[in-house]
Amino acid sequence: MKRVIQWWTEERRAYLLLVLPAVAVYWAVMAFPTVFSFALSLTNYNGGPVFSNPNIKFVGFEHYLRMFRDQYFWISLKNNTLIILVSVFGQIPLGFLFAYVIHRKLVKFRGFFQTIIYLPCVISTIIVGRLWRSFFSPYGPFTEFMQKFQPGWENELFFDPKLAIVPVLFVILWMYTGTYMIIFLANLQKIDPALIEAARIDGATEWQVLTRIMLPSLSGVIVTASILAISGSLKSFDLLFAMTAGNPARRTSVLALYMYDTAFKHSPKYPLANAISVFMVMLSLVLILLVKLTEAKFGGRE
Amino acid sequence: MMKQVKIRKSDFHPVLRAFVYLMALVFTVLTLYPLLWLVISSLKTNTEFQINILGWPQNPTLNNYPTAWRLAKFDTLFLNSLFFTTVSTLVVIGLSLMAGFAFAKLRSKATPFLHGSFIMGILLTLQSIMVPLFLMSVTTGLYDTRLGVLIPYVGMGLPIGVYLCTEFIKSIPDSVVESARIDGASYFRIFASIVAPMAAPVAVTLAILNVSGVWNEFMLINILVSRDALRTLPVGIHKFSGALASDHGRQFAALTIGLVPMVVFYLLFRKQITKGVSAGAIKG
Amino acid sequence: MLKKSVFFVLVLLLAVSVIVPATLAEEPIKITVLNYFDLTSPGAERELNEVWYEFSVRNPHIIVEREDLFLDAFHQKTEAYAAADMLPDVIYMWPGGRSTSLHTLGLVKDLRPLLGEDAKYYKEAVLAPQAGGYLAQLPSTMTSSHALYVNVALLDSLGLSIPETYEELVAMVPVLKENGLDVILMGAQDDWVIQSCLFSMIVGRLVGDEKLNEILAGEAKFTDPEFVSALEFYAQMYEDGVLNRRIMQTDYAEVNGLFATGRAPFMIDGDWKVGNFLTDVTTGEALIPVDRQHEFKMTIFPAIPGEINKASSSGVVGVGFGMNAKIEAGSAKEAAAWELIKWLQGPEVQKMRLETAGTIPSRIDVTSDNIEPLVVERIRYYEDIAVTTEVLDNIFEGEVYTPINIGLQEIGLGFATPMEVAERTQEAFDAWFARKQQ
Repeated sequence: MKRVIQWWTEERRAYLLLVLPAVAVYWAVMAFPTVFSFALSLTNYNGGPVFSNPNIKFVGFEHYLRMFRDQYFWISLKNNTLIILVSVFGQIPLGFLFAYVIHRKLVKFRGFFQTIIYLPCVISTIIVGRLWRSFFSPYGPFTEFMQKFQPGWENELFFDPKLAIVPVLFVILWMYTGTYMIIFLANLQKIDPALIEAARIDGATEWQVLTRIMLPSLSGVIVTASILAISGSLKSFDLLFAMTAGNPARRTSVLALYMYDTAFKHSPKYPLANAISVFMVMLSLVLILLVKLTEAKFGGRE
Repeated sequence: MMKQVKIRKSDFHPVLRAFVYLMALVFTVLTLYPLLWLVISSLKTNTEFQINILGWPQNPTLNNYPTAWRLAKFDTLFLNSLFFTTVSTLVVIGLSLMAGFAFAKLRSKATPFLHGSFIMGILLTLQSIMVPLFLMSVTTGLYDTRLGVLIPYVGMGLPIGVYLCTEFIKSIPDSVVESARIDGASYFRIFASIVAPMAAPVAVTLAILNVSGVWNEFMLINILVSRDALRTLPVGIHKFSGALASDHGRQFAALTIGLVPMVVFYLLFRKQITKGVSAGAIKG
Repeated sequence: MLKKSVFFVLVLLLAVSVIVPATLAEEPIKITVLNYFDLTSPGAERELNEVWYEFSVRNPHIIVEREDLFLDAFHQKTEAYAAADMLPDVIYMWPGGRSTSLHTLGLVKDLRPLLGEDAKYYKEAVLAPQAGGYLAQLPSTMTSSHALYVNVALLDSLGLSIPETYEELVAMVPVLKENGLDVILMGAQDDWVIQSCLFSMIVGRLVGDEKLNEILAGEAKFTDPEFVSALEFYAQMYEDGVLNRRIMQTDYAEVNGLFATGRAPFMIDGDWKVGNFLTDVTTGEALIPVDRQHEFKMTIFPAIPGEINKASSSGVVGVGFGMNAKIEAGSAKEAAAWELIKWLQGPEVQKMRLETAGTIPSRIDVTSDNIEPLVVERIRYYEDIAVTTEVLDNIFEGEVYTPINIGLQEIGLGFATPMEVAERTQEAFDAWFARKQQ
């Protein structure tokens, strides 16, 4: 009896001490400012001192309504959706494919490929953005290259509202697949090889091993990867800023760029920017819940 | 060393194999091209670059490097970047493991709420917290100090850190913890001598994520700091991208300077992943 | 014994001779400055020495704590400072545009009273009231946001000459196309370029400042025929082949090399672009070497059919430094800050800027023999301009000119019609106007 009581309070104490530092820093740095921003998104603040300002007052959801009525918001949202799709259905499977192939030693030069595929993630987005910007320029090599096949070919890539985002999607796919490859690789190596060996001895094909053993045990990792992909896609800013800055005519804009535009580029409009960011968070939440539901349905056993 | 089961070559459909090799080749080209371009461009003068953006340099020069280094005071910037990256990463790993252990293995009614709040953090963007952070750092007197930069950097790395650590530690069997408890070990002892060593793989993952995030971080450092003495590499690199003009040659030299440590870091740690993972592999 | 006391007295004397003057000397005054410093500008190194270092040498009792930022980091920091009520004592500002809130919220002082007598050294246009209706910053220069750069040598080789009317320009298009050349180059991938460097001039010609001010006061609309006609003329330029959609995919820096190497005979940009073609002091190279600079001229866009202002260009005063309004009037701090501002726009500094970047001085007493031919050309161009009209992003606030910026790109790409852009701009204006009344 005494032992149980002792155990309980010690656990409590340990819990607090272990958790407190992280919680304290995190709440101070992220949670509180976010709440503050949310509050600000309900006011008419427009630059100048925040606290001693007599002109600030609450205006409710006015900014949110304005956001939903803005066509550029919807264009940005559409682009974000495309990026999410590319991330979740492009980067993750591709990352997994590479990880699998490397792990199962199905190709040569594994070390080299692993390095090469991950390397883009560490290259600063400025470099990548600028290079591809120059590359796709109407006076650049891409145009020259195409003109060898069809003289007088006009580089219309960025002028078609539907196609303008394609080069960007392509670059995104290339840049971040490596992160997922690493994550999958690290987790593939956690799967007990004895299990696989036993299955092979029983005559299972590679495909069966993959679908019956490996994928289910990786389901947790897939969820993690999806969460990272979704949140990363919605926050995606640097690369696009360097490549197109949302142009031409905002057709390659994404929510983060849109927010940046409204908050910083022109007259300070923090409340609107914060409304956008609140929306982004809500959207992320919804999507992640969807992912978790999907996992629950097709669920994995450890 | 783990045993690997031999794959029958016939298993791996040749078309699929060709596809994989092709994709890998495409990746290689796509990755090496920008890097090559970067280095070549850094060897051109600004004038030459504007005339010849994508070709080989006519008169390659190494002048951009020392000039960029001097003008932007890269020595200070470099040290600062190193400092902030290393310290924040270590702290994030430490705090995340602690919290992750608590969330995964200790019982408490607060866990769903606290853990959930960290998950939310993964979704937040920097833009929305920038101005309030600035106001707070000014009010607490931490503006323009090292601590005033470290704390936000740590705070931003914590959500993903706590999430990953919790997931990882959850996969450690409860029996390990319980048997240690029966032997009379305190929770801290369990944490320090059992859980932490096992956590090498997730620590490495966190290290990679955090290092690449902090090293290239640009917006927050400008907001939270005025003194040149505290600034980091990205600030220096951006200095060469002017409003109505750009000194491209020097900017590329600067970018290369900033890139090299990251590449080196990754090459070093790549080996660690495989090592760390096999060390942490769970025996059945 | 004696030695000891002598020694003691000497020490005392020494101490007194040091301490007393120190207390009597001026207390050093500290000033914080937020500066927009462009490490890539040709004069960067000179600026550090001849401007800032020199000031501290001449004014040892004023300690300047300077923070250098640029591009968006600068603007974000400014807004953060404003939000925390922590503006530095001296701050780099635009006459409007992105610094507008500083003007309109009264966060900076009116410098006119401080300028006093010295006003006579500055060109009159420079001292005009700015976005807040008063002189918030002392401009270092005036610029024409529009200029038509001409590669005269290239034109000559094709048997052409500088066009005086728009029709003449259109007539040149087939010849240029035949020779595989573009007509007009612009680095218009960023959305402000077309509005600032081309469209503002068109508006100046077809609409005029008076009408713009009526729109600003809510007495006229963007959707009125005048403004729409400006948009329609702009759209027409594409149809006539004078403008090509490619400009919107051309990077702002990329265009320099293209023009210098004769990709097209014309380029439209602000008059500040000259700086990019000058000799780089550190390498001795130039995009347009000094001996070739006479092959290029600057002029204004040819006559547009239906123009009410002839031979006008859009212009705006340049950037300068302003002073925090919270500094007490008449205090030592104010005097120190004013010393700094005076110095920053003084004759020595303006001369340096003229020599390194070709910046037209706002003072009337600044000249130099050490300037390149293109700079001489720029000054001639600027002084020859008959009429200067407003630049749209200076007279309107961000909320209003952003739809114009985007709309201009959309028209070029065929995504929107002139009327649609006018309507959208009017909508944005109405919302802004309504909010201002509250």
